Amino acid sequence: MTAGGAAAEPLVHIEDFRMDFGDTTVIRNLSFDVQAGETFGFLGSNGSGKTTTLRALLGIYQPTSGVLHIDGKPFEPGDGTRLGYLPEERGLYKKEPVLDVMVYFGRLKGLGKSQARSWSLAYLERVQLADKATMTLDKLSSGQQQKVQLGVTIMNDPELLILDEPTKGFDPVNRRLLMDIIEEHKRGGATVIMVTHQMEEVERLCDRVVLLKDGTSRAYGTVADVQDQFGGTVYRLSYAGDQVLPSSTLYDVVRQGGGRAELVPRPGGNEAAVLRELVAAGLPVSGFTTSRVSLEEIFIQVYGEQHAAGRV
Amino acid sequence: MTTTPARKSSPSRHNLGTVVGFEFVRTIKKPRFWIATLAIPVVMAIIFGLLFISNSSRSASADAQKNAALAFSYTDRSGIIPDQVAAAMGGTRADSSTDGAREVKEGRIEAFFAFPANPATEAVKVYGADKGVFDNGKYEAVAKQLLALSAQAKIGSAAITAASGGNIKVETETYRDGQVSGGFGAAVPPLMFLVLFYITIILLSNQMLNSTLEEKENRVTEMILTTLNPTTLIVGKIISLLLVGLVQISVFLAPIVVGYAFFRERLSLPDIDLRDIVFEPGPLLVGALLLLGGFTLFTAVLGAIGAVMPNAKEAGVIFGPLMALIFVPFYAISLILSDPHSPIVQVFTYFPLSAPVTAMLRNGFGTLSPVESVITIAELFIVGILVMRLAIHLFRYGSIQYTGKLSIMSTFHRRSGEEQHPPAPH
Repeated sequence: MTAGGAAAEPLVHIEDFRMDFGDTTVIRNLSFDVQAGETFGFLGSNGSGKTTTLRALLGIYQPTSGVLHIDGKPFEPGDGTRLGYLPEERGLYKKEPVLDVMVYFGRLKGLGKSQARSWSLAYLERVQLADKATMTLDKLSSGQQQKVQLGVTIMNDPELLILDEPTKGFDPVNRRLLMDIIEEHKRGGATVIMVTHQMEEVERLCDRVVLLKDGTSRAYGTVADVQDQFGGTVYRLSYAGDQVLPSSTLYDVVRQGGGRAELVPRPGGNEAAVLRELVAAGLPVSGFTTSRVSLEEIFIQVYGEQHAAGRV
Repeated sequence: MTTTPARKSSPSRHNLGTVVGFEFVRTIKKPRFWIATLAIPVVMAIIFGLLFISNSSRSASADAQKNAALAFSYTDRSGIIPDQVAAAMGGTRADSSTDGAREVKEGRIEAFFAFPANPATEAVKVYGADKGVFDNGKYEAVAKQLLALSAQAKIGSAAITAASGGNIKVETETYRDGQVSGGFGAAVPPLMFLVLFYITIILLSNQMLNSTLEEKENRVTEMILTTLNPTTLIVGKIISLLLVGLVQISVFLAPIVVGYAFFRERLSLPDIDLRDIVFEPGPLLVGALLLLGGFTLFTAVLGAIGAVMPNAKEAGVIFGPLMALIFVPFYAISLILSDPHSPIVQVFTYFPLSAPVTAMLRNGFGTLSPVESVITIAELFIVGILVMRLAIHLFRYGSIQYTGKLSIMSTFHRRSGEEQHPPAPH
C-alpha cells in the first residue's frame, strides 16, 4: 500500500466508469472512492451492476471506459496488494481435499507451505470443520463449502477485503460468525468493501455506502449522509381503519397497510405540516412518531418503483 | 487468526512452482489415474505372460514333435529320401500309398507319408492316427524334417542347403552424400518421437482440454484470476501435464523394456539389434523440436477450446474432429513416404495441426530437408505460442462466462475499450 503518501489518496478509486455488454450499457458514469481502513457498503438491487463493478475493479472484466484503481493503479494479481475477494459466484476445486485446496491458495497468496497449513487447520478448527480437513469439498454441505471459501479469502490477512454478498447461503449462526470475522478485519485496519442486501449489517458495519440503480449512483456518502439525502427522518403513524393514504407533495408513502404507514417527508414536509394535511384529509390518526429513516426504507423507496414496474 | 504473509522473492516463479506441484500431485494421487495408467501395462503384462507360456509350451512341443519317434511308413516317388535317413527316424518303406493309408486306418501303424514326385509343386500326403488337435501336428513336423534331412544329405553341404532355403544373413550399407547412411536403423530413433507424440496426445488430450474447463466448471475462476496471473496458471498446467505424461510413458515403457531385456526370446519379440540403430544428431534434434512444438500447439489449442466452451460435453463436439486431424496424415502415409514433395504432402507438412505427424514421419525417413525442418519447427512454435496467448486471453476474459459459449470476438471488442483506460501511474 502507499507508504507515507498523501493521506487523502483513496485506496480504491473509481471514476467515470462505464461498462457496455454489446449494445447494453450496464454501468454509466459511476464514480466513488473507498478510503483505506473504512468499511464500504456497495448497495443495489439485483442486476444493478454491483458485481460487474467489482469484477471490472479486479481486472476480471475489461471496462468500456473509466478509471478503476486499487492503490493508485489497475489491479493485477501479485502486484503487492494483499487482496481477499469473496466472489458472488462461489466455487473451489470440488474434487480436492479441503486442506489441500486451502494450502494451495495460501501458497499462491504468498504464505509458506507450513504457514498455510497451520493457518488452515486453525481456521477449520474455529469454524468447526477440523474433522473435514481431509474430505473432498464436494462432500461438504453448501454452507460448509462457503466457510472454506471464506477462509481462503482471508488467509493472507488482506488489506483490502472485497465481499460480494458474503452472507448468501449462510444460516443465522454462520452469518454471525462471518460478521465477527469481518469485524475482526475491520478492527485490524483492513479496508472492507461489502455487497449485501442485509441493510442492518450495513448500518452496523459500514462507514460509507454507495447506492446503485440502473448502473448509476443514486446515493453516496456516509450512512447518515444517505439517510439525509432521503429525508433523514421517517414518520410512522397509526390510524383507525384501512384506508389508502392520499398522495401529497409533502411526503412519500414508503409502506402502508393494516392501519399503519411510514412516510418519508419531502422538502418542506415537516412534522406539523404533514400531520395537519393527513387530519385535514379525514384520516383518523391515532399515533404519530418520528424516527431516522433506515437504509432498508431507503432501499425500498428507491427500488420500490422498479419492483412495481417489474424491472428488478 | 491473522497472518503476515511471507512472500517469496519472485512471486510469479514461486506461483508457477506451486501450480505445477498442485496440478501434478493431485493428478497422480488419484486412483483413477493409476487405474488408467496401469491398465495398459497390466494388459501388456498379461499378454506377455500368455505369450511366454504359450511359446514355452509350443517350443517344447515343436521340438518334441520334430524329434518324435514315430512308427511310420512311407512311399517316395521323388527319390530324395534315403532309406537309412528314414530308418533312423523310425520309418519303413511301404509298397504302395494305398497300403500305407489302410494300415493307418486299421491302427497298425501311427502314420504314413506319401512323398510325391516333385515336393516343390505337389503336396506331401500325411495320414495319421488322431492324437488330438495339437499332437496331430507332429506328423507334418516329422514329414518335413525327414524331407529336409534327406535333402541336406543329398546336397552334402550345410551352406548350400542354407543358401537354397534363403536362410542367410544380409548386411546392407547405403550411401548418402558420400557418407554411409543409417538405413532403417537410422529411422527408428527419430520415429520414436512420433510414438511419444501420439502417446502424449492420446493420453493427455482430455486433461489438456479440462485444464481450462475445470476452473470454469468449478466456478473457481474469479478466485484464481484475482490470486494468480492467468499465464502462470496455464503454463503451470502445461508443465504439470508434461510431467504427468512422462510418468505415464515411463510406466508404459517399463514392461516393454523388461520384456526385451530379460524375456525377448521367450516372448518371441522381434530381435532388435541395437548395433543396427543409428543415432544421428540432426534428425534426433529435429524430432525432439517437432515433438515439443507439436505438444505446445496441441496443448494451446485444447486449452483455448476449454476456455471458450462452457463444459466438457460441448467441448467434445470440437475435440473429436481436432483429434482426428492428427491421424489424417496416416491416410496418405504411402504418399508421404514415396512422394514427399507432392502437393498433398506439402499441405500436410505445413498445415499446423497436421504438421507434427507429417514432419516427424518425413524426418524419420530422411525426406524432410533442413529448410523444411526449420520452417515447420518455427511454424509450430510460433503458432503454438500465439494460440497459447489466445488461450490465456480467452481464459482471462472468457472463463467468467459460466453458462454459455464464449464469443471470441466479444473479448477483443471489449479489449478495445481498455485502450481508453488511462495508463497505470507506476
